[in-house]
Amino acid sequence: MALIEILTQYWPKILDGAGTTLLLTGMGAVFAAIFAPLLALIRAHGSALAQAPVRLYISFIRGTPILAQLFLVFYGSGQFRPELQSLGLWHFFRDPFNCAVLVFAINSCAYQSEIMRGGIQSVAPGEIEAARAIGMSRLQVLRRVIFPHAYRNAWPALGNEVILLMKASALASVVTVFDLMGQTRLIFSRTFDFSAYFWAAVLYLTITACFVFVWRTIERRLSRHMLGRSPKGAL
Amino acid sequence: MQPTSSPDIVLKAQDIHKSFGPTEVLKGISLEARNHDVISILGASGSGKSTFLRCLNFLEVPTSGTVSVHGEEIVVRKDRPGDPRQIERIRQHLGMVFQQFNLWSHRTVLENVMEGPVQVKRRSKAEAQDQAEALLARVGLADRMSMYPSQLSGGQQQRVAIARALAMEPDVILFDEPTSALDPELVGEVLKVMQDLAAEGRTMIVVTHEMDFAREVSTEVMFLHEGRVAERGPTDKLFDNPDSEAFARFISKIR
Repeated sequence: MALIEILTQYWPKILDGAGTTLLLTGMGAVFAAIFAPLLALIRAHGSALAQAPVRLYISFIRGTPILAQLFLVFYGSGQFRPELQSLGLWHFFRDPFNCAVLVFAINSCAYQSEIMRGGIQSVAPGEIEAARAIGMSRLQVLRRVIFPHAYRNAWPALGNEVILLMKASALASVVTVFDLMGQTRLIFSRTFDFSAYFWAAVLYLTITACFVFVWRTIERRLSRHMLGRSPKGAL
Repeated sequence: MQPTSSPDIVLKAQDIHKSFGPTEVLKGISLEARNHDVISILGASGSGKSTFLRCLNFLEVPTSGTVSVHGEEIVVRKDRPGDPRQIERIRQHLGMVFQQFNLWSHRTVLENVMEGPVQVKRRSKAEAQDQAEALLARVGLADRMSMYPSQLSGGQQQRVAIARALAMEPDVILFDEPTSALDPELVGEVLKVMQDLAAEGRTMIVVTHEMDFAREVSTEVMFLHEGRVAERGPTDKLFDNPDSEAFARFISKIR
């Protein structure tokens, strides 16, 4: 009954790790979501000059492993310790949790930007024209027409991105963050009992399932105006 | 016909040219709309009539030429409106009804009509709602207010779009082929609303293929042919006794 014993003995640590995983993922995803709409707008409507740095950033992030990005920030920052100290930033970079959140935010922002770009580009041009014709400012058109549609269009793909980020957050354990994966590894190194990984899997699965439920509920709310147009009947 | 200045001129376009790349679509078109005018713009497809209408509220920026509303000329800088504030303010006076309705699909019928007054004119929601309900009742959609556009027929959507334009209390309403996307049996209900608007003295500029509407409702007709005005004048004179061969051919084909 090693399976149960591991749980009864280590459940506080496992739960603590799960909490850290949620925090890592949540903070990374939210910080990314703050900047993604702006970058997506630049990608969709910006001049070639404005797009160039955004394209570079996105292809760098998408073209390199997230683990490499994590190492780059966590170990790389050590190389610049004096400079970071003089800027008062060393305190931030010394903590692996901070580094992990930073990397996840930067990483997810690139993906979210591309997802949002698609969402923005699929807004019906006629609805934008109607808003302009009534005298709305650019900002109002964005706020009242473009982004509501863009978020609805991008919603399922954004959920997918958050799930991928949640699982990628396990990499933080490699730089000594005690997230769910980190705690599990610690337990395994003490007990050599494989069932620790079983419980980690159960928790990851539970988190994902809950997230999917919440995301779908919001999606249904966002899609109220599309009721009766579901492709279910069409197929 | 050289346009002259007069106090009751609401909208005036002078010598509008528009090119898309090397193709010149509009080759110098002028128009004057006075209060209570209903001007129909006719022409074969590709004659530039929709492009011209879109130049009037700068959804399309003319390559050259000027548009003024109540004597105020729209400022142009390069190929865009020179002053965003100005064009936003002027557009509030120019309602527009589109061929494809272009209702905001994520808002209910009522919200569509309230959107302009609340967001652009900064009216209170209560006031905007009273007004929207009255307008929707007027176009015969009092019982559809909480529905979404996708739940309505094309004719109903277009009537919502007309109510949405009216909610801004515009001085001129521009109609861009308002019945062309409708099933034949739904055309009548939209034309009826437009006829009522004309009867109450609204100033309207209508791009249309509906010859009967042009003939019975409009005060003036302008016929475009290959980017130029081939014929214009009071409706009765034009239909009974057209000057240009192009227009004579056009009306005989349609009948």
